[in-house]
This record gives sequence, structure tokens and C-alpha cells, in this order.
Amino acid sequence: MKSSYNSCGQEPPRLGVGLLQCLIFGLFCLFAVRLWYLQIHLGPVFTEKSRNNQLRTEYIFAPRGFLRDRNGELLAVNEPAFVLGLVREDCDDIPATLNQVAAWTGLPAERLKDIYARNKPKVKPFEALTLVPDLDFPLIAKVEGGSLRWPGLEILSRTRRKYIYGHLLSHVLGFVAEASETEMQADPTLSLGDFVGKQGLENRLDDRLRGAKGRRLIEVDVTGRRLSEELQRGPKAGEEIFLSIDLGLQQLGHKVLEGKAGSVVVMDPDSGEIHALVSEPSYDSNTFTTGLSSAQWAELRDDPMHPLQNRATQGVYPPGSVFKLLMAAAGLHEKAIDPNETVYCTGELALGNHVFRCWKKGGHGTVNFQRALIESCDTYFYKLGMKLGVDRISSYAKLAGLGVATGIDLPHEKAGLIPSREWKMKRYGVRWTKGEDLNMSIGQGYTGLTPLQVARLISALINGGKVLKPQLMRGVPAQVLSSVPLTPEHAAMIKRAMVATVEDPRGTCRRVLTPGVVVGAKTGTAQVVRLSEEMKRMGDAVPYRFRDHAWMAGFGEQGKKRYVVVAMVEHGLHGASGAGPVVKAMLDALFLGKKELPPRDVGGAERAGEPAARLVVDPVEPTFPEVPHEPGAAQ
Amino acid sequence: MSPIDRRMLYHVNWPLVGVLAALFFVGVLNLYSASGVRLGEGVSVEPYYQKQVIWGTIGLFGMVAFTAFDYRRLSAVAWPLYAVSLLLLLAVPFLGKTIYGAKRWLDFGLFSFQPSELAKFAMLLLGARILSAQPDRLDLKRLSYIIGLGLVPALMIIKQPDLGTGMLVLLLLCGLILYRGIRPWLFRTLCVLMPLVMPLAWFGLKDYQKRRILAFLDPATDPLGSGYHILQSEIALGSGRIFGKGYLSGTQSQLRFLPEKHTDFAVAVLGEEWGFFGMMLLLSLFCAFLYQIATVAREAKDPFGSYLAAGVFFYFFWQILINMGMVMGLMPVVGIPLPFISYGGSATLVNFCLLGLVLNVSMRRYLFKQS
Repeated sequence: MKSSYNSCGQEPPRLGVGLLQCLIFGLFCLFAVRLWYLQIHLGPVFTEKSRNNQLRTEYIFAPRGFLRDRNGELLAVNEPAFVLGLVREDCDDIPATLNQVAAWTGLPAERLKDIYARNKPKVKPFEALTLVPDLDFPLIAKVEGGSLRWPGLEILSRTRRKYIYGHLLSHVLGFVAEASETEMQADPTLSLGDFVGKQGLENRLDDRLRGAKGRRLIEVDVTGRRLSEELQRGPKAGEEIFLSIDLGLQQLGHKVLEGKAGSVVVMDPDSGEIHALVSEPSYDSNTFTTGLSSAQWAELRDDPMHPLQNRATQGVYPPGSVFKLLMAAAGLHEKAIDPNETVYCTGELALGNHVFRCWKKGGHGTVNFQRALIESCDTYFYKLGMKLGVDRISSYAKLAGLGVATGIDLPHEKAGLIPSREWKMKRYGVRWTKGEDLNMSIGQGYTGLTPLQVARLISALINGGKVLKPQLMRGVPAQVLSSVPLTPEHAAMIKRAMVATVEDPRGTCRRVLTPGVVVGAKTGTAQVVRLSEEMKRMGDAVPYRFRDHAWMAGFGEQGKKRYVVVAMVEHGLHGASGAGPVVKAMLDALFLGKKELPPRDVGGAERAGEPAARLVVDPVEPTFPEVPHEPGAAQ
Repeated sequence: MSPIDRRMLYHVNWPLVGVLAALFFVGVLNLYSASGVRLGEGVSVEPYYQKQVIWGTIGLFGMVAFTAFDYRRLSAVAWPLYAVSLLLLLAVPFLGKTIYGAKRWLDFGLFSFQPSELAKFAMLLLGARILSAQPDRLDLKRLSYIIGLGLVPALMIIKQPDLGTGMLVLLLLCGLILYRGIRPWLFRTLCVLMPLVMPLAWFGLKDYQKRRILAFLDPATDPLGSGYHILQSEIALGSGRIFGKGYLSGTQSQLRFLPEKHTDFAVAVLGEEWGFFGMMLLLSLFCAFLYQIATVAREAKDPFGSYLAAGVFFYFFWQILINMGMVMGLMPVVGIPLPFISYGGSATLVNFCLLGLVLNVSMRRYLFKQS
């Protein structure tokens, strides 16, 4: 071999051949090590990544549970809604198409472009991007008619929550709306466009109503097109829930309060079930499900009548004379009252240099325990208040469940206020005065209660002292949260006095007398502001916002049936005339069957006047306003 | 001396032919899988593997043709061929047709032709001719002269732009120079100087080339852009693990996550479906293949033949190193195919012809002794 090179007179490139062999060896070693590293050492990591490339998890929509009233009447259902979607892949000219959609719907083109730009990154090119979430039939017809000229536009069907009686139950049911970014981050099963309960029962019972989404594993290729799918878990529909609300009663409550601001609560004193929870004025739950424009939201939020506020659980008012029932129970318990002892009411009581007046000019004369309640004599309760003092009153009131939230299944419930020495010191930095004992004992001053708390108080007084959790669902076992110290004799005395308040010729609640039914009640008239002498002379003609709030809290009993009815009418002037008719209407319905099923509140007719495609535009997260009724304002 | 002697048939390098056949077979087998795309129902296979077989057959004729003459005659055409290829490269910017934004092709009506392919071959011949005539290891003067000869076509090709082929031409020449050997002091100086010169080359690169290099250094910075190729290719290889996902069952390739899966990244498909085991087998085949060529270079009858074989060795060696290195994430993404595994018509033809040249050198190794 070497000789052949030598014959040519040249050295063989021995080093060169060695170099070639070294290169081969190096190549082998380098790649073998790298392959071992990639395929064996990191194999599991890359296997996982390859699976993530190939497989996608998709959730299958689970229908939301229906809501029914205690008699099975449907309150909230799911209905198909039509949505206008745009498939980018099929669309030739997106700006022109958006302009056409704007022309059809009357929405500003900028809005549509904004929606388009916002959703573009979240939607695949061959999937539909939702442009208009609510199409009515004329629009569907227009889009269908133009489908050849405007490729890429698609009408999709989705389900949407529908509240059959949108206005009647908005404060109870609340509403659902599309999940926000934060909600989606908190719950990975939620995806864009899913509905979650935002207010009311929809919010509190969201887990039960929502059901469980199904899950399916899809194999996709690099463009995201699905190749095969495997069902891992079927969807589980949300639970159907029967409320304790009686639709007829609820409707009646709204009807009698129409045009006023106020609230009615009907409660079963034994089970705690709420048969009606009315707050007027109200709003339509359906406006929220389609997404509210800022203008709509501003209108609801800034309405001086506060339709968004649930007055039954969020309205805190001074209870007025209704509080005397609690005072009576506390006085009996603390043995501060001898039922037979009498007090002489001259119409006023002097304490220091201040004169406390009874509501009746000239006074009630001689009154005993029962008479004091029947005629709502302030002097009697001033004296009782002086005896008891704030400490004993407020600790007894706390036992009766006042000053704390009732625990009803509704969000943002208010606790109300039962003042105490410590509270006043902390809040105002001033000591509690003796005069405030007197004011407190007739339900004025700092004390603030919600209508629901008053309903629960009355229930406790007639059910033997059980403080119940107000139930909004039918057939839930009664839940006793605490108990009021109340002997059967004392309970019977209070009840007798309440019945007498209705039946006695001089009783303040004569107007709720109902034939065949044992009815007991107590009125309350709560000062909103201290009226000047001039305003007092105006009588019932004082301006609306200075008028007193009207309360009536009572119960009706017939055989085994018994119900507590509490009505509160803002600025209703007098307890008996302002709130009495409301209680009377409820009692008539409950015991005499005078009720009618309401006509459907929501439907094509109501929405016809509004532009059809008004939806999502820019959804606002509703936050409920603070209650305007600070108890401190009363004095 | 007759072009084909009966005795020469006895000396055909059958091991090399055998390894070549095995590689080509593996390539076609893998190409069948790599050109498959899974749709909703079943798999649709693009007929790349058929075309590859056709090109292989044409290549076989080319290979035989390249054994049919005495390779020493090529020494005489080295300079003219170099000149012709320079002329053609010069013509490309004026007459070439633009495909994918690069002017690389000359259209001859019936077929289009890449002058850069011819330049590679011309460089191989010229390098072998000049270097085989060097009596001594190269000093600076001769080294500069030879590098200069290589830089002219290489820069013209890089300007097309075709960085891969241009670099290949230079690397081929560098391989041959190292095969010849350079003076030790020169070698040491170059070892020091090269790292200093390298950063300067950075400014000569196009933006997309810079991005590829950056993406290679850190693929995670841009997983959907330049880093995508590397990432998906590593996922394909890595998820194959020891024995692979099975033939025709690679998800990365069948679902098209792997880009360029029948050309530059074809070997990733093999790695995904046959695993570490399959890759080691392929690597061994390539090493055996290179070893056979190196043996031919060692045992060649005369220096020109030896340098020809060494040139072919480097031609394949660089492609294997760059392509497989790229697929394994060891090199930036450069469009260089893997011989016999990646689909490519003219590349297959050229590969076969060059092997014909090696076989030519190999079968004539005893002949001259007797003459």
C-alpha cells in the first residue's frame, strides 16, 4: 500500500486518515450521548409535552337547575338564545362584515370592532367568535338572508337563563351573568361565556344549581382541528330547587306595594320557611343575564328609589313601636313588669330638663301592660326603659337575633344595629345617656332592624322563643339558631296583647281584623328625622323624604296554620294606615284564599320597545349600593 | 485500459454498497411514515416515498455511470468545471428564478438547476486536485490561496441567499485541508484566531438567521416562532423514549406538530417512532457508512483518489453532523438535509453519483499496481 504512494513520490496523509476515523468516533459519541439525554433521561418530560400537544380537554355544558316555587311553579328556566358568530377562516373581508353587522343591529361599528379584537386571541380561526349575543327573529332573518353575500357569519344557539317572573323575584333569585376573569381563574372548569350566579339565590346556591360539567378528551392536530374524541365524564345537570316562596303571595306583595318603596315578609314561624320576600321597587333579573350596558347599569344604580336594594334583608330602619314587643318580653323576663301594675300616662314624661312625649297628646290615662301595648303607650315603655337600662335591653335583643344577620341564603345581608354603651363610646366617643334608654325603648334612636329580622322576632315570640334561620327552600328542617328566654305564660301574655291590639275597639291594628282568623299585630311608626314644629303642623302633607316609615308586624293563626307577616313601607306616614293594608292583603290571601296568579311579567311584549341587540357591550360588575338608611339619622 | 474491466467487479466495495442500500431502505421506510398526515378518519400519505424511490433508481444509474470511467481523468476537468460553476453562479442573480424569496435556480426550460450543486462538485474536484499535489503540509500562503478559491463560490452562494450550501462548500474544503494537514504553528495560530473572528460574522448574517441562532441558544424564548422547530423536534425525539411509539404512530409527525417532517426533520420522525434503539441503529449505519468511505480514502491507489474519497467523506460528514445536530437541538436551524433520510430529488441523485465516485476509486485500487 505505502509503496503505491511512494511510487508517486508523495507521503500518504496518514494523519488525515486518522482524522477521519476520529471524526467518525466523535460523531458517534456526541450523538449517542445527546440521544440518551433526550430520549431516556428527558423521555418522560417530552412524553408529557407530546401529550399536551396532542390532547385537549373540553368541558361539556351542564344545564343549570330550574328553580320552582313551593307549589312547583317554574321561576327560572334555561331557554335557547341565538347568537351571531363570526368564523374568521370563512370570512373574506372582516372589516366590511363588521360594518354590515353594525348596520343590521344598530350597534356602533367601533363596539363590534372592540368585541372582535378582544375575543380574537381566545377563539380559533375555524371557531365562531361571538359578535352579538342576543338576536331577535327579524335580525336572524336578515342574517340568514345575507348569508351568501357575507360568508363567515353564523347563527349559533346557546342556552340562557330566563326568569319567567323577572321583576317579582329579582331580589330573591338574583341573576346569573357571564363569569368574570377572576371567577374563571378561581375555578378552572369555568370557561369564557359560562354563566355563574352573581346575586341572590343564584349566587348562594351556585354550586348546586350549576351541576358538573362533563369532560371529553379530544385529539387535535397542529391547527387545532379535532380528530377523535373520548368522553371521560358525562355532564351532570344542576339540581332543581323548590323554593319556599309562594309565587301568588309574592306577586300580591308586589302588587300592594306598587308605587311605594317597601317590603313584605311572610314567614312560617315554626319552620322558618319564607313564603314571600318582597322588596319594591324591583328590577328585572333578565336584564343582567344578557349583559348590561353602562347606561343601563347607571340608570339602575342611580335610581333614587334604589331598586337594586333588597329592602327585606338590606334595608335597615328604626323599628318604632314594633320594638315595644321586644321591650315587653324583656321586661317580663327581667321581672321589671308586673302585668297588673298600672302607669298613669299624662302624655309626657320629664327626664332632667328634657320632656319625652307620648304620641297621644293628653295621654292615655291609666294603662296596664296589655293596654299599653294595645294603644302603644309611649309613657309606659319610657318607664320600662328607665327600669331596664340599655345593657339589659340590648343583651335581650341580641338573644332575639337582632343586630346580627339572620343567615338567610342571600348575599349581602345587613346585620342591623342594636346599640350598647360600648358601641356608642366606640362610634361617637360619647357616653350613653339616660335619655337614650327612653328613646331606645320605643324603637327610635340608633336601633335599626331589617324587615326580615322583625319577622323572625315575631316568629320567636309566638313559637316559644325559637330564633330560626329563615329558609328560602321548601322542606328544609327547621334550624334553631338561638332561643329567647320566654316562659309560656309570658309568651301567652304578649300574644294576647297583640290579638287585643287587633280586636280591641281602641287597638291600633283594627284594620287587619280578619274573620275566622286569630290575628295579632303591632304597628310601628319610625321617625326619619325630627320634624320641626312647622312640619308637624303640615300633618300628612310633609315632603316625602321627611315622612315617617310605617311598620306593621303581625301574625295570623287558623287551626294549625300560622304565619308571621311583616310589612314596612318607607315614608308610609303611619303604621296602621301605611303598612296595615299590606298586611291585610297578605292575611286575606293566606287564610281566605284571595289571591290570583300573576300574569307573566316578562316576555316579548315587554322587550319589544327596546333595541334587540343591546347586549354585552360592556358588562359592568354590579356592586350593590350602601343602604341609605343609617339608623343614626333618626335622631 | 477498458473503462470497465471484469476484474474490477470483484473489487467493488460491497460493504459500502450494502450499507448504502440499508440506509436508503431505512430512508424510504421512514419517509412513508413521515409523509403521512392523520385526518379525522385514517391516514393520508403524500407520495414522497415513491418519488424518493424513483430518484434513487435514477441515482443508481448515475452511480454506475460514475464508476464507468477512470477517475484520474477528472483531475483534468477540475479547473474548467470550477470556472463554469463560477460563471453559472454569476448568472444566477440576473437570470435566476426566485423561489421562496431566494434566487438559487437557473431555468433551462425542461428542468431547473441549482448552480450551487455543481459548485460543490467542482470544489470537491479542485480541492482534491490541488491538495493531492501538495508535497508538504500547507503553509500560510498556500492555505490562503486554497481558502480564497473556496471563498469565491461560497460567498456567491451565501448571497443567494443559501447559507447552508455556502457553508457546506467551505466546510468541505476545510475538511480536505485538514486531511492534507497544515503546519503545526499555523494550526495553533488559527485555533486562537478563529474564535476572535467568529463574532464578526454575526454582523454579516440576515435577521432571520440571527433569530434562528438565538432561538437555538434558548428555544423557550420564542416557542411559536423561531424556537418552534427545535422545540417540536426535541419533543418528537424525546417522546420516542427507548423503543419509540411504533411505526406510523408518531403523534408529533402524524398530527403535524413537527415542521418540515419529510425533509429537514425527517430523522425526528424516525426517532419518535423507533426510539433510542432505532436512532442508535441509524447512527451506527451512518458511522459504518463513513468508515467505509474513510477506508476507501486510506486504501486508494493514488493521492488524487484518496482526496476524492476524503472529499466525499466530508461532504456526507458535515451534512450528518449539521442535520442531526439541528434535530437534536445541538445546532441552529440551517436548511441542510440528512443524506438518504430526508426527501430530496436532486440531493439523492448527487449523493448516489458521489458514492459512484468513491466506488470508482475503490475498485481501481489494485488495478494500477498491475499495469
